[in-house]
Amino acid sequence: MRSLYSLQTDRTTRRARFAFPAGRVLKKAGLQVGLTAGILAFVLAGAVSAQHRITGSGDLQAKISYCKDCHGVSAQGFNGYYPIPRLAGQQPEYIENQLRAFTEHRRTNNIMFNVAHSLSPAMINALTAHFASLNPPPIGGAPRQLVATGRKIFEDGMPEVNIAACAACHGPEATGSGQIPRLAGQLYPYMIKTLSNWDKERGRNPTVPDAAAIMSPVAHSLNKSQIEAVAAFVSTLRSSRATPNTVQ
Amino acid sequence: MRDPDLIGERPMNFRRQQRRRRSAFESPAGAALILPAAVLALSFCSPATAQGNVSKAEADAKLRYCEVCHGASAQGFHGYYPIPRLAGQPTEYLKNQLQAFVERRRTSNIMFNVGHVLSPAMIDALTTDFNQLNPKPLGGAPKGNIDEGKKIFENGIAESNVPACASCHGPEAKGNGPFPRLAGQLYDYITNKLTNWEKERGQNPAQPDISAVMQPIAHSLTQPQIKAVAAYLSYLE
Repeated sequence: MRSLYSLQTDRTTRRARFAFPAGRVLKKAGLQVGLTAGILAFVLAGAVSAQHRITGSGDLQAKISYCKDCHGVSAQGFNGYYPIPRLAGQQPEYIENQLRAFTEHRRTNNIMFNVAHSLSPAMINALTAHFASLNPPPIGGAPRQLVATGRKIFEDGMPEVNIAACAACHGPEATGSGQIPRLAGQLYPYMIKTLSNWDKERGRNPTVPDAAAIMSPVAHSLNKSQIEAVAAFVSTLRSSRATPNTVQ
Repeated sequence: MRDPDLIGERPMNFRRQQRRRRSAFESPAGAALILPAAVLALSFCSPATAQGNVSKAEADAKLRYCEVCHGASAQGFHGYYPIPRLAGQPTEYLKNQLQAFVERRRTSNIMFNVGHVLSPAMIDALTTDFNQLNPKPLGGAPKGNIDEGKKIFENGIAESNVPACASCHGPEAKGNGPFPRLAGQLYDYITNKLTNWEKERGQNPAQPDISAVMQPIAHSLTQPQIKAVAAYLSYLE
């Protein structure tokens, strides 16, 4: 493992240079500070991952605030140049799997590839536990008039046109379960973007098939206005629980 | 497209006829009654299938829709809830359960909606497809008490009046008619069902059904016994 990590650190350095166009994106969002902090955090994290543990709570706090530069103050999501998803209340297993998806190129995103690359397993555990424990109110901003239709699709699906009920997997309160993400409070534009581009964004590494395949036919079966309605509904959803009770 | 006998009937009568077919399932509890009713219903339904009321494309699309939640090859899936394996399930069991959701004998909003829109011909096509699937069990159950589970399944527990599961579900747990296949069913799904039997099955007092047969058995099993049987079945191919 140690040699693997040192290899990854080398690659990370190369990638970091390679990925610099992403800096433009961050600048647009007024996040130069985040970039600097990010690079600093990289260097620190490289040392940490080699040890497979977090050396002090200071490291974790620094990493948390680094994540929040882009994902919002309470990780409730943030509209940067892109809609940057809410991580608050998210399933730890989901976040862990997505971080791996970035490093394994199942999801292709230079910024998150670099972020994920530098995280040790211990740091990932600590971060995912932290994000799961947060439960800020949704960021809001979706058109209210779509919410009722969205709720209907979420709870019942549209069986006559083969659209599955989202609630069957994401739970009646959209809290998610394991690798299945929480959707409650997720950003309206993020939901739309992700559902509209599912096959172009998820399950991109044919040698590592993953759970994204499950969503593919569902995303396909939804038309634009249905996607907008569902996105509006979940974006307004406050969850009473940060973590679900998966036993039913 | 339609049965020649139905040509000339108004659509409303056709609907009523469909409803009458469904009402075959509404007979009181016990396999003895449901079995002939189902056979009758089957004989009503088959001409419709033979005439291709459901195209292959429609049936395939619906099957893929089912698999979104019930897993690839309908082997079961852990969504927010454990979602049961349908692969290899007897067609009669599947039909009766779909009917149970529509008649509120089983209460599930999602499955109520799903069941509601299925035509008899589509139900025929789907249940035949599911019955023919035979993927490997999903797995994942604790393996510590599988032997005890096998013993309960095959012999029952005479001292607490638990009959051998095999006597209705078959020695290989493949099920038969209205009795479900249990081989390869999800561990936590079986555990939940046996634990909550009376809260989930036979929920419409106006329509008592065959789930009453299982009720005293589910009651007599302790939690460790339920878990042992569920673990054994969940690995059975």
